[in-house]
Amino acid sequence: MKLASAIVALVVLLAGALWWVGQMAPESPIEVDNARVRLVPGGGPMAGYMEIRNHSDDVIRLVGAASPAFGNVMIHRTILSDGRARMQHQSDGVRIVPGDSAVFKPRDLHLMLMQPKGALEVGDQVEIVLRFEGIAPAEWPVAFTVVPVTLE
Amino acid sequence: MAGGVHGRTGDVGVSLAVTPGRIIATIALVLLAAGCDDEGWHGKNITGLMPELEFRLTDENGNRVSEDVFAGRPVAMYFGFTHCPDICPTTLARLAAATRRLPEPISQDLQLAFVSVDPARDGPEQLDKYTGAFSDRMLGLTGTQKQLQALTRRYRITYGYDEPDANGDYEVSHSSAIFVFDAELEPRLMLLDSLEVPQMAEDLERLLTMP
Repeated sequence: MKLASAIVALVVLLAGALWWVGQMAPESPIEVDNARVRLVPGGGPMAGYMEIRNHSDDVIRLVGAASPAFGNVMIHRTILSDGRARMQHQSDGVRIVPGDSAVFKPRDLHLMLMQPKGALEVGDQVEIVLRFEGIAPAEWPVAFTVVPVTLE
Repeated sequence: MAGGVHGRTGDVGVSLAVTPGRIIATIALVLLAAGCDDEGWHGKNITGLMPELEFRLTDENGNRVSEDVFAGRPVAMYFGFTHCPDICPTTLARLAAATRRLPEPISQDLQLAFVSVDPARDGPEQLDKYTGAFSDRMLGLTGTQKQLQALTRRYRITYGYDEPDANGDYEVSHSSAIFVFDAELEPRLMLLDSLEVPQMAEDLERLLTMP
């Protein structure tokens, strides 16, 4: 009898603990999908693309990024006008309102990944740490897949 | 043409039959509906508007070359730089994919050229690695500022450099269109950056199969 009570007490305790932990774990405030790096040969910069969704109730802002695989990472946007192409550094970052997403895609927003530190191959995973304002923690490591340069 | 023996009867039949004029009109209407210009091109027809191709540049093998390197075969030329991770690879990959869609023998006939307007960073070796990623048949070219200006001015395009950042990196602005020259090296078509692979392939096939 004593043993049975102890077991029941233990089960109740465990269940309670699990419920409590479940309540503690918040839904992830952001979600990053389709994170990919387009492989450009020759040691020049490459572009990183992705979609960032803001599930939180706050306005967030992607303000920077860094990667152990690249010397420098910048947030850029390609501007096409009057038959000319140029790149614009997004010095104020990229603002995402609650429920919205920011799409980094070819001919538009992209992470400019400069000074690759080693030779990459299609299929490799590279870590890029995204730095935000408006959420905690501020830094979000994301695994990007290396894709062929011919993929959009 | 059928009914050639009885010319007059044939003439009467013409108004009801499918005539070349009607076919062309129908094609034009279909193409207009598909968002083309009044001549049915997805790109811009530049025939007769600009001078024939002429340049002195250095190719990806380190050889000094002129337009003769393309002589006798059509060429599609794009102006960019290799430290351009977004728009240049996107456009070059679309061009290479459009070329692969072309029927033989024009697919093999069309030559591809990438002219770097950033000679300080794009030496022959760098160009060779870069163009090889898109197509074996893409030739990388660059030159001195004087040589590049002579070529770009000919086609009324410009390029420029931003101030270098703390790391010495700098951005380059450049033309976003692909220039297509025929086998006589006359400029014929500008494929704008907004075109996708099927539209590029359609324009290239139409131009390269013209009598």
